[in-house]
Amino acid sequence: MTTSLSRGTLGIDAAPSSPGPIPFPRLVRVEWTKATDTRASRWLLVLVALSTAGMMLAPILAPARFDQTYTGYLDVASIAQVILVPVVGILMLTGEWSHRSVITTFTQEPRRIRVVSAKVTAALMLGSGAAVFGGVATAAGVGLASASGRTLEGTLSVGDITGYLLYLLLNMLGGVAIGALLQSSATAIAAYFALNITIALLGTASTLIGDWIDTATTWTWVLYTDWGGHVPQVAVSTLVWVVIPLAAGAVRTLRRDVG
Amino acid sequence: MITTTALTKSYQRMPVVRDISLRCEPGTITGFLGANGAGKSTTLKMIVGLVRPDRGTATIDGRPFVELPNPTRVVGMLLDASAMHPGRSGRATLTIAAQMAGVHPRRVEHLLDLVGLTDAAEKRVGTYSLGMRQRLGVAQALVGEPQALILDEPANGLDPEGIAWMRTLLRDFADHGGTVLLSSHLLHEVQATADHLVVISNGAVVAAGRLDDLLASSTILVRSPDPAALAAALRAAQIDYVAGPGDALTVDASGGRVTTEVLAGVARDHQVLLTELRQSETNGLEQLFFSLTAAKAATQGVAA
Repeated sequence: MTTSLSRGTLGIDAAPSSPGPIPFPRLVRVEWTKATDTRASRWLLVLVALSTAGMMLAPILAPARFDQTYTGYLDVASIAQVILVPVVGILMLTGEWSHRSVITTFTQEPRRIRVVSAKVTAALMLGSGAAVFGGVATAAGVGLASASGRTLEGTLSVGDITGYLLYLLLNMLGGVAIGALLQSSATAIAAYFALNITIALLGTASTLIGDWIDTATTWTWVLYTDWGGHVPQVAVSTLVWVVIPLAAGAVRTLRRDVG
Repeated sequence: MITTTALTKSYQRMPVVRDISLRCEPGTITGFLGANGAGKSTTLKMIVGLVRPDRGTATIDGRPFVELPNPTRVVGMLLDASAMHPGRSGRATLTIAAQMAGVHPRRVEHLLDLVGLTDAAEKRVGTYSLGMRQRLGVAQALVGEPQALILDEPANGLDPEGIAWMRTLLRDFADHGGTVLLSSHLLHEVQATADHLVVISNGAVVAAGRLDDLLASSTILVRSPDPAALAAALRAAQIDYVAGPGDALTVDASGGRVTTEVLAGVARDHQVLLTELRQSETNGLEQLFFSLTAAKAATQGVAA
């Protein structure tokens, strides 16, 4: 341990440096690091990967109950991901409030909107990563099925893959938005699932809610690239689940006093 | 240089900070002294943009903190050593701060060595003692090679050796031209570290100035068998006083107008018998501070 500070350590005798603003890519890189470098976050990502791979066994072991098509396998890959990916998104936005490390983050970059933007960008990158992993898992599943002597119908078009990517990113943003708004991990996760279940139940009673608000319906059209006539429904549900809570969350983040 | 002008903040209409103006010069250590709950942390958080003041301004080197392009290159902070992710290692925590600030990764190792955490660098922060977190917090504050430091209760959780180390470090920093603002609720802690002192109570500044001036005995103790007559005489002569210790009165002599001779004259003119008249032995600052904290503790006791 050194008790005396060298000039180099302090840096205050050096010519006053006037470093520019923190470049946005650097903020994104830091947020990516924070989302992936702790034991808890790694376990969550491993859980996403394992459950995706695990789900892939279902259409292989029970061929009668699943479409034996490429897109059918891709759907299966999305089942586990769509539950856990939003949780990743929630935690990316709430984690620092829960651990109170926002004190450090917002003093290193006081323009809080840039921090929020960096977190959203990093979340979209992670969502894309999950989509790529889903694609790889699907390919492995299809490969296994073929090896067992089954022939799968169809191919995967660019549209199928884009639909899958958009579907995951929308679900990621759904988590991100509610995390940004509620700023508490436990509250946001509980609210996310409670709201989804409530809306799904109400959707069975009211087609208005089912077709315009329930993302289990509207975003599934995105997954199946079934855009015909559904653009307004997809837009409205995205407005309700992503745009409005994310905007409100950004405003709340900018205004909140960090105690 | 850190300055604030009339910083004011209320929570739910309860004033927490009232008209606090500070001025911390390069090359000095300013101690910000007050009882727990006096408004120190809120003031420091207003300086660095974490809390928005209702009124007033704060600047670092003439600019509001939130307008600094890369603030940690200008001012380093340790505001709450427990506000770190417990699952990240000390080295990882510091690396993230270094990345944000845009300094060379080598600086992380250098700082770990400086604060004596090299051996514990790979351990998770959740396993650290408060003192170790405090050291990590100091390293984090220094990461951007700042010219100023703002530290909230930096001595918290440190052992005596750690406290001595911290003092040396801060003195060194100031001697190299750095500006230091540190808060504490312990008078002797600030006394041993600071050159300038700002004392606050219930959110307002009650004393400020050079430590030496504030520590100089500036009160006169005067005692009479008839305290009421003595008090009346002082009021008539327009001399400020406070009751105590015991049945004696303490007179403020800081302006130089009031001396023991003047007081003797007032007593003679009003025919009040004096049994004691002398410069106070206890220093005024300590008395002031203890009376403030005691008053605070008393009101808290009543509230509880």
